[in-house]
Amino acid sequence: MLEARALMVFYENMLALNNVSIACGEDQIVGVFGANSAGKSTLMYTLSGIIEDIKKKEEMAGGERITVMGTLLYRGRDIMGLSPSRRAKAGIILCPERRRIFTESSVIENLRIGGYLASGSQARETLEYVFKIFPALARLKKRVGGFLSGGEQQMLAIGRSLMAQPRLLLLDEPLMGLSPLIQATLVRATREIRDERGISIIVTEQYARPVLPIVNHAFILENGSAVLEGTREDLMNNPDVRSAYFGV
Amino acid sequence: MMAQTRRKERLDRGIRVRTDGLYALMSWRELSYLTLPRVVLIFGVLALPFVMPSMYWQRVISIVCIYSFLAISFDLLAHFVGLVSLGGAFFVGVGSYLAAILNTSLGLPVALTIPISTVLGATICTALLLPCLPLRGVYFAIVTLMYPLALARVIEALNILGGTDGIMGVASFPSRWVEQYFMIGALLLFLFAIRRLVNLDLGLVLRAVKDNDQAVRASGMNVTFYKAIAVFIASAMGCLAGASLVHIYMWAGISQFALDFSILPIAATVIGGAGTLTGPLLGCFILVPISELLRAFGTLRIVFYSLILVGFIVFRSEGIMVYAQRKYHQFERWVKV
Repeated sequence: MLEARALMVFYENMLALNNVSIACGEDQIVGVFGANSAGKSTLMYTLSGIIEDIKKKEEMAGGERITVMGTLLYRGRDIMGLSPSRRAKAGIILCPERRRIFTESSVIENLRIGGYLASGSQARETLEYVFKIFPALARLKKRVGGFLSGGEQQMLAIGRSLMAQPRLLLLDEPLMGLSPLIQATLVRATREIRDERGISIIVTEQYARPVLPIVNHAFILENGSAVLEGTREDLMNNPDVRSAYFGV
Repeated sequence: MMAQTRRKERLDRGIRVRTDGLYALMSWRELSYLTLPRVVLIFGVLALPFVMPSMYWQRVISIVCIYSFLAISFDLLAHFVGLVSLGGAFFVGVGSYLAAILNTSLGLPVALTIPISTVLGATICTALLLPCLPLRGVYFAIVTLMYPLALARVIEALNILGGTDGIMGVASFPSRWVEQYFMIGALLLFLFAIRRLVNLDLGLVLRAVKDNDQAVRASGMNVTFYKAIAVFIASAMGCLAGASLVHIYMWAGISQFALDFSILPIAATVIGGAGTLTGPLLGCFILVPISELLRAFGTLRIVFYSLILVGFIVFRSEGIMVYAQRKYHQFERWVKV
């Protein structure tokens, strides 16, 4: 589905991603775990193409120079350097860190904005599906986005990404700052999305434990390098990983 | 495999690293690296009246200085306090009418009218703007834009302060040289004072207000008070410019509320580099003479002027000063990844 080889990203002279190679197969959930400043968000920006946008803005404003290198193959096609909107049309949708919902639009408006690229029937069908996996949102249709709780906002953000008809969904820290109960709901929903819609998912987290049961494959980032990769069982059995990312 | 194996690297010049702090005093080379840009600016501006070929162009210098005051005041408010001010005309109008009244009615000499109208004008401007200071957003810009329009109409309709004819017979500066060197001297003084101010504790608070005013409030500081201080300083510069303008033209009139005084400083700030304080000054020294040169084109003047502005925004949107600073402080080289 998606294969990234030897990704390198420099923010000016700082190396944010160092030779990172990751892959995500069809119908897979891939986890990317790492501490703060490990490069998780940069990786997500690079995969979704947002980095190209940031790069252009920095260039215009005379800010720091961002260099992106490596190969990025999506369904056999090289997408390196493609603009984020083109990648979104091709089916790579990012659900950004800190949710970034439209705080002044209502829930239903947020979802309809997300479905701008979809056809009418797709949008209607997906809207129903979003309300099916997140029943909480169905009750809050008219509520303004900024007045939702953190968990509801995260559901809305994931719902909005789904409306854009992803084939590969990038979830950047979806569980950040949420209660264990909501975390469990979201993790269950994530698995359902994969199983029922056939969407591949790459999910990043700092704390691996809640997400690990649903991932097929995982990568561990440290200081911008992918130091470890393996299946769920591989990581579970690694004592270093257990202490650092599972809190065991 | 990899298409690109080299990247351009930006590094601080070694001498810049060494000239941080007190260590600049270690050698003449380091000292001159630090002072050269400032010395060039100061002596360049001071030499201008001698270089200019005619009286007409010497007058242009004074006008450039007036716009520079407004541009620095805009830059201070917009990029260090987060208040977008369209009030250049307001400050100039208040300052110029005050100076004209002080001079014609009370008979005060130029040496007194300018400082008095600077302080008094700044107080009036701050008091009038005080109601919209607690608000965030576009309100400050709208209010500062409306005041000059309203004041001009009030003077016109009520026929006070000379009405449409304006106040005539204002004293001029003793000589052209006094006029130019007063303007240049005051400009340099304010430029370096403001550059200093934004790095003092007060300046830090102001920048924090721009960043996140809620956090400033949570730290126990009165945001409105600090905004008022900044508005006072900025409007003092505007009023000083207005008071000088009156003594240069020997006349105060409604045209001193013209929107040119609000708009041109903003354009100069964009060209010169926002948030650098020196940039807006450079921008004025480029834009105002260009607009004088373009007078030869008659009505097409504004077309060329707009083209220059658009060109700058599209190709150098960072501004001259930001670009120059980077080139001066850093060098680039290709490195293998």
